[in-house]
Amino acid sequence: MTPPAIAIQSLRKTYQVSQREAGTGAALRSFFRRSTKDVVAVDDISFTVQPGEIVGFLGPNGAGKTTTLKMLSGLLYPTAGECRIHGYIPSRREAAFLRQITLVMGQRNQLVWDLPAGDSFELNRAIYSIPAAEYQRTLAELTELLEIGDLIKKPVRNLSLGERMKCEVAGALLHRPSVLFLDEPTIGLDVTAQRRIREFIAAYNRRHGATLLLTSHYMADVEALAQRVVVIHHGRLLFDGRLASLVERFSPHKTITLHVEPLNGHDHDLAQYGQVIERDAVSVKLRIPKAETARITGRLLAELPVTDMTIEDPSIEEVIEQVFNAPADRPAEAQP
Amino acid sequence: MISVWGFYRARFKTALAVQLQYRVALAIWMLGLVLEPIIYLSVWTAVAAGSGGVVNGFTVSDFAAYYIVLLVVQHFTQIWHMWEFDWVIRQGILSGRLLRPIHPIHNDAAENIMYKLLMLVVVVPSVVLLVLLFQPVLNPPLWSALAFVPALLLAGVLAFLVGWCVALAAFWTTRTFAINQVYFIAMFFFSGQVAPLALMPPLLQTLATLLPFRWMVAFPTELLLGRLTVEAALAGFAAQAGWIALSAVFTLLAWRAGIKRYTAMGG
Amino acid sequence: MSRYLKIVALYVRLGILNELEYRANFFVQLFQSVLSLLLSLGGLSVIFSHTGTLNGWTQSELLAVAGVYFIIGGIIRLVIEPSLWRLMQDVREGTLDFKLLKPVDAQVLVSVNQVQMWKLIDIVMGLGVLAVVFAQPQMQTDPLRALFFVLALLCGGVIVYSFYLMLATISFWFVKVDNILVVFESMYEAGRYPVGIYPGWLRFTLTFLVPVAFAVTIPAEALTGRLSAEMLALGGGLALLLAVVSRLFWLYGVRNYTGASA
Repeated sequence: MTPPAIAIQSLRKTYQVSQREAGTGAALRSFFRRSTKDVVAVDDISFTVQPGEIVGFLGPNGAGKTTTLKMLSGLLYPTAGECRIHGYIPSRREAAFLRQITLVMGQRNQLVWDLPAGDSFELNRAIYSIPAAEYQRTLAELTELLEIGDLIKKPVRNLSLGERMKCEVAGALLHRPSVLFLDEPTIGLDVTAQRRIREFIAAYNRRHGATLLLTSHYMADVEALAQRVVVIHHGRLLFDGRLASLVERFSPHKTITLHVEPLNGHDHDLAQYGQVIERDAVSVKLRIPKAETARITGRLLAELPVTDMTIEDPSIEEVIEQVFNAPADRPAEAQP
Repeated sequence: MISVWGFYRARFKTALAVQLQYRVALAIWMLGLVLEPIIYLSVWTAVAAGSGGVVNGFTVSDFAAYYIVLLVVQHFTQIWHMWEFDWVIRQGILSGRLLRPIHPIHNDAAENIMYKLLMLVVVVPSVVLLVLLFQPVLNPPLWSALAFVPALLLAGVLAFLVGWCVALAAFWTTRTFAINQVYFIAMFFFSGQVAPLALMPPLLQTLATLLPFRWMVAFPTELLLGRLTVEAALAGFAAQAGWIALSAVFTLLAWRAGIKRYTAMGG
Repeated sequence: MSRYLKIVALYVRLGILNELEYRANFFVQLFQSVLSLLLSLGGLSVIFSHTGTLNGWTQSELLAVAGVYFIIGGIIRLVIEPSLWRLMQDVREGTLDFKLLKPVDAQVLVSVNQVQMWKLIDIVMGLGVLAVVFAQPQMQTDPLRALFFVLALLCGGVIVYSFYLMLATISFWFVKVDNILVVFESMYEAGRYPVGIYPGWLRFTLTFLVPVAFAVTIPAEALTGRLSAEMLALGGGLALLLAVVSRLFWLYGVRNYTGASA
């Protein structure tokens, strides 16, 4: 077995945050003294990622995803525990390590605002001392894959959000990193631009065998890219495994949508089949235990004037939402 | 009227909260305000020291008194809205203020008054410190000491109106920075900052009399120093009143024209 | 080393390209510089209409002080101030992360990452003022003075840069301190005149707390033959010390920023 690209062992990070209440009195008080409290952002997380693997890193806002990515890229020093990227300790920020990684943060930009992206690329070329021939080759490949040939000649401020993001991604990959940390790379983009970026990431992974750790609020990103997901919540590891087993694990339910005519007067009857999630004049949505699917559908068809019926797995969004609503003290479970 | 007063009270509270948030910024802005009079006080002290202790009737302690009083007057007549107004327009903040049932000038006036009162916390100790360090001599006749108070108030109103009027230039140009700079350089020469006006060349003195800056700063300062005759003081009040009326009318007209332009362009 | 020079050169180039996007800024800056010159010249002419020398400096010599004031001010506003201002913004917005992730010394990156090219006008104007002053027959020049001047300028530059870097580094702890850079800006105004005219406490402040004296007065003293070799050596020593201290403080700040020292 090859050594992992990313190895995280009992990683932990606590912050001190200052706090102040609203109002003139509180403003006056904090003028003299600002109170702080400790917050645990990442709490004892361990997992490994193999070279070439794409892992979706999921969790609600404030779960500790960005903090973890920052520790992995060496921007934050862990309070406890250890992480290694290809054997390097990130917080030492050795040049050899920094040449192997890249961090893309969707909501932040490192391109010079008033200049064409190409000028910022030149700067990165000097910073990473990329040989001219290799630079040309990489740039050609990236511009082709991302379809930004003309865009890198326009001032960044004149680009749309999606175009800017594509240039941003290209700039972050000029030095051909082997480990990519992508923090919400598609945030705020329209559906087409999201798909472009997604396709590009997949292609880059295939061509260069790069390792990817990706956070996103868009489940479509995760479904399209990640074979495996790691879910954290309140700083703790909640799940580590295949996307399909996440659905199985956290949603032992199916959703049945029924069209019944007429619906009036069947309130009591419906609740006995399963949990009513939604209802309107002509249709009703029921949540039922997965194991009971066959029995309950049989009963529904036999006992009610059903005109139409569909049975579905809940969407990943629904499952994720359910996972995130789980209580914080739930013990971390990892798939073997 | 009552609603305007209520607005001022509420605006004072938020202005206070904001100012406390930016405590460092506050202290630094103050530093600049205090430093400038000290620079020219030091310069003129050196000049006086080099020419037998007196320059045109100003002794070293006269200079000290002049620049310390000038500092106080400058504090009560300072205005910074012209540096913000361009931003207020471009960011669409003005649109929000226009939706309020109260003229936007009240917003800035309230902020201005609040800041000046709040900053007394810094100004008063600075003045005390400067008095101890520079040993000024100040014994004005009672009438001119009393007249100083209304002169200072009128100067504050005048400076606010003129400054606010300058700020309105942002309706027509985005290069307000240059206009503001000209304003402040005129202030530097004609308000008695670089030197008491009595020490300026005659031509500049005449110009200073014709322009508003003298009546915003130098006039109250000279009044408290007891350097003005009763006639000169009355003339000064007349000049202040005249300039206030003139700038009020001009501000009103400029505001109307500016708003017309602003709403025509869709903000 | 040559790699670093190349990176610096690239940043300068980006700064130039950036400014060329806003050509009107050239005229705004020209206007501003001329006004500032007017302020100096006007002030001097008012002062010297009442006296022949100011604390031992003649009008021409004070004009030389004004020239140095413009040159150093230009250098500061050309690269030091905008870059470190940008550093504070980067800390606040989190974009500093990108610079820390580069395989080069981050202090170099943050120190040159913004160039306001048109501030060159101030430098050119300052040099022009010096040229006019030293074209006068009564102003003498010799190679030793010139050498002292260059060395004093260099020390002043290093001292001011280190001072700025330390101020900017504070933003690792207190996010809302952008305005702290204005401390220097407003104190620098005092540099229009030699610090010798100020009362003792202010002279001390302008020398050791906010190094205006090292930036302007001491180079001007070198230029007018007032600077002793001992004083220059002292300036050199201070420059070296501050460079080291600010470097250590910067490293400590980065460690704190990444949570390594907490």
